[in-house]
Amino acid sequence: MVNIQEDIAVTTPTEPQEIPAAKPFLANERIVIETQRLDFYYNPEAHALKNINIQIPDKKVTAFIGPSGCGKSTLLRCFNRMNDLIAGAYLTGKVLIDGEDVYDSKIRLEELRKNVGMVFQKSNPFPMTIRENVTFGPKVNGITGKDELEEIVVSSLKQADLWREVKDRLDASALDLSGGQQQRLCIARTLANKPEIILMDEPASALDPISTGKIEETINELKKDYTIVIVTHNMQQAARISDYTAFMMLGEMVEMDSTKRIFTNPTVKMTEDYITGRFG
Amino acid sequence: MEQNDTKQQHYESVYRADRWAKRFITAGGYGIIVSILAILLFLVYQSLPLGQNASLKHLLSYPVTDTGNQVLLTGSDSYMEIFYTLDQAGRLNFYHISDGSLVLAEKLPLGEGEKLLSAARGSLGRDVFAAGSDSGRVITAEISMTAVFSDSGRVIVPSLDIEETWTAESAGDSIPNHIEQLAFVQNEDLSRFWAWKDHVGNIHLRIYDADDEETYQHTLQDYFQNLTVTAMTLSHGGDNFIAGTQSGDLFWFKLDDFESPELKDTWKSTQNAISSLQYLLGDQALVIGDNQGAVESWFPVRTPANWLKFTQIHRFESHPAPVTQIYTSSRNRNFLTVDNKGNVKLHYATTGQTELNFRASDFPIQAAGLTPKSNGIIAVDGQRQFTLFQLNDPHPESTFQGLFGKVWYEGYPQPEFVWQSTGGSDEFEPKLSLIPLIFGTLKGTLYAMLFSVPIAIMAAIYVSQFSPHWLARAIKPTVEIMAALPSVVIGFLAGLYFSPLFEEYLMGFLSVFIFLPVVFILAVLIWRMVPEHHRTRLKPGTELALLIPVVSLAIAISIWLGPTIEAVFFGANFQQWIFTNLGVTYETRNSLVVGFALGFAVIPIIFTMAEDALTNVPESLSSASLALGASRWQTVRRVILPAASGGIFAATMLGLGRAVGETMIVLMATGNTPILDLNPFNGFRAMSACIAVEIPEAPVGGTLYRVLFFTALLLFVFTFVINTVSSMIGERLRKKYARF
Ligand SMILES: Nc1ncnc2c1ncn2[C@@H]1O[C@H](COP(=O)(O)OP(=O)(O)OP(=O)(O)O)[C@@H](O)[C@H]1O
Ligand SMILES: [Mg+2]
Repeated sequence: MVNIQEDIAVTTPTEPQEIPAAKPFLANERIVIETQRLDFYYNPEAHALKNINIQIPDKKVTAFIGPSGCGKSTLLRCFNRMNDLIAGAYLTGKVLIDGEDVYDSKIRLEELRKNVGMVFQKSNPFPMTIRENVTFGPKVNGITGKDELEEIVVSSLKQADLWREVKDRLDASALDLSGGQQQRLCIARTLANKPEIILMDEPASALDPISTGKIEETINELKKDYTIVIVTHNMQQAARISDYTAFMMLGEMVEMDSTKRIFTNPTVKMTEDYITGRFG
Repeated sequence: MEQNDTKQQHYESVYRADRWAKRFITAGGYGIIVSILAILLFLVYQSLPLGQNASLKHLLSYPVTDTGNQVLLTGSDSYMEIFYTLDQAGRLNFYHISDGSLVLAEKLPLGEGEKLLSAARGSLGRDVFAAGSDSGRVITAEISMTAVFSDSGRVIVPSLDIEETWTAESAGDSIPNHIEQLAFVQNEDLSRFWAWKDHVGNIHLRIYDADDEETYQHTLQDYFQNLTVTAMTLSHGGDNFIAGTQSGDLFWFKLDDFESPELKDTWKSTQNAISSLQYLLGDQALVIGDNQGAVESWFPVRTPANWLKFTQIHRFESHPAPVTQIYTSSRNRNFLTVDNKGNVKLHYATTGQTELNFRASDFPIQAAGLTPKSNGIIAVDGQRQFTLFQLNDPHPESTFQGLFGKVWYEGYPQPEFVWQSTGGSDEFEPKLSLIPLIFGTLKGTLYAMLFSVPIAIMAAIYVSQFSPHWLARAIKPTVEIMAALPSVVIGFLAGLYFSPLFEEYLMGFLSVFIFLPVVFILAVLIWRMVPEHHRTRLKPGTELALLIPVVSLAIAISIWLGPTIEAVFFGANFQQWIFTNLGVTYETRNSLVVGFALGFAVIPIIFTMAEDALTNVPESLSSASLALGASRWQTVRRVILPAASGGIFAATMLGLGRAVGETMIVLMATGNTPILDLNPFNGFRAMSACIAVEIPEAPVGGTLYRVLFFTALLLFVFTFVINTVSSMIGERLRKKYARF
């Protein structure tokens, strides 16, 4: 049952609490996303995120790792409020993007989601042509100029490294593309909105190594212009593409640091155990 | 080892169950196909005879004995066991049809050397005739051929009764009066009418009034001036007399006043001499045959100036030689035309078709006729050869043109599509145009779909996309109950309760269509002025609660303002207004009422399937759309509706199929008037309802019976085509939008 409804209750803590200061390793970064004492409940019994305080730097790739069910996707979906779709879910605490609380009632949901794009684990192109897939976002956000749209199609597909493969069949069905191409189309579709932030939830987990490589290349290209948050189960992938890595466990943020540090010399023993494959 | 055995047994039993299940399911599948085919074949089998042409079988021919070589009249009994001949010498002989053996020989009372010159049958039901001689004598007599049932079976006993004999007054000179030509009718009141032409060529009329036993006599020669009358006919009721002349002129006399016949009209039909005239069953249509072989039918049509004028309706296949005799059927609009070369043609007046064309003899035919049941044709030729044909023409009225084309029926001002299968009398001309029924079905379906499709699809969108769970859980079973409601109940409520209510508050109901959108738009505008954070605080689903007062308000305003609107715009009486301004009679059970009732039956079907289709659109698509910044409504419109379009289309088509086939509701909620008018304020007659109403009354094997089966076949084809087309288009839409 698809149920599009924003059924979420926002409760801000009554007494102001101490907000952790910026982490030293982020000292030179501009912070784009910040959560403050974020607790998320799917229902009163399912406490999925526990007191998450995280800062995500601008124009960098941040990877979320952690065992299955630890809440990576949940946290990601708090950033563009996709959790709003789940009936009965609610959260406490704050999610700030560029300093603004996204759960504030003054925030326009459509604007937020345009600004914070999302690529899903399973590629989900619309059953339309390739061109229509790319122009969907700009169109629903009010862009109508034909030339402008055409420009967006070309640049987005180029950024997603798909242009060469599809330039001759922009009006073919998107569903005729291969799985990897479909996923890159989904990236292009997200880029077409010219977002500030791109959230990627295991974007390559359903793909073969070659397609995965291409996606990784694309991400490497994109980080010049975008803030990217990626969830992955693939340690090598996290190590290869991310600048920072956050390790989560049972709904808690165990540790976040530069990727190099996490993979070579983590502070917490649990992180090391997870990365070296001793559990998870 | 033992374990292996039990395992073996286990698998064997599993396989056996599999095999049986497979057989059973296959049998079920084929069973369905076979039974549908069987229904189809049965419908085809029942309606196929409609397309059959008339056929003729030559049964027997032999010379008749003891008869002079000039036969004036012939006829048979209704069992086709006996026939008679009347010859010039006044001999009336009865023969067994089977072998030509003489049963009875009678003789009309003629004087020495007196010869009969003319004879005419005077009734379609009885063998009453008049014969005129060369000495001015007119003998009127009745033949009866009574069936007597005894142990040894049925025996037909013939007899002759001389009713009256009189002599026409002589023209005054010495030559005895000759009855050269004679027309005679005895009507249902037993009044008798004779018209004859004497040897000078003058036309005389004699009327015997059975009521006051008076006789009236008139000479009509003054009307014709110097024209020579060549043919005459009297209508079977005796109130019309028509004479045709050498020059092709026709004279129409009304005989309502026995004391003074009135010349009603004269007209010219052809340039040729009129050689034969005959009124058909029903006393409306007149068949004219001329000496060039042309055969035409004419009947009086009301002109714009409101007087009746004989108008040519059909021209039938011509004869190669002058038409000498016309014989009508006593059962339907069939008639025989005979020319002087032995050719016989069978025509059907309603459709204008010449059904049979055959040569009955190589010699001129002296007397012929259709048997009383119209199942045989008898003829006696100049060589005293008697011939019997078996005629098989059960459905002359159901030609393609008759069922689907405009037909000019007797009494109608122009050709029209008319369905009127039965009438008061045997003389009724069945009108079996299927167009009003097909139109009725389409009209009912149209109004039902206009009402139900928007509501059902909007409701499906709301329930699947916007409503909170608890509301969806409440709505779906409610709609299922709606679907389970027997259509008799809906039809009953619509026909007996809702339609009078609707009529009473007609203007109020109609104003809802104006006030609801107006109030709705106002409400939305007001809603927009509410600050956004107040709006978003509203729990989803409560918008619906807000709508209830809005809709109630609109309805209240409509009902309240209805009479005022009616008074201001429609002269206080809307029914009267549409009648005078649009020429539409308001019917209590009209198409709007049916639209609502039928729509009520169709909504659950469309809703359930459309809701399914919308729900089946994968969440990943709507998530993708929302994540790109599309609003809820944009997501529905741009992603979910296209993806579900195949299913929604199929749902609509299924609803359409239901509306087309629905019987009880259209039967009970309309007046079942078979009219061709799209106006919502009058009714219609749908194919299904027509079948339900008329099949119990239709004689098995008759034309109406078969036409109703044919209607059922059409309905079957309709639904089949709808289903096929819908699944084809639905499949294409699914291929295009719903590959997920
Ligand atoms: N709609 C939901 N309703 C209730 N509980 C949910 C729902 N979605 C997720 N959860 C629970 O919340 C917890 C976190 O789930 P989440 O999907 O964020 O995990 P994850 O880290 O993304 O796991 P994975 O790596 O397998 O994708 C899990 O325990 C999960 O069972
Ligand atoms: Mg996940």
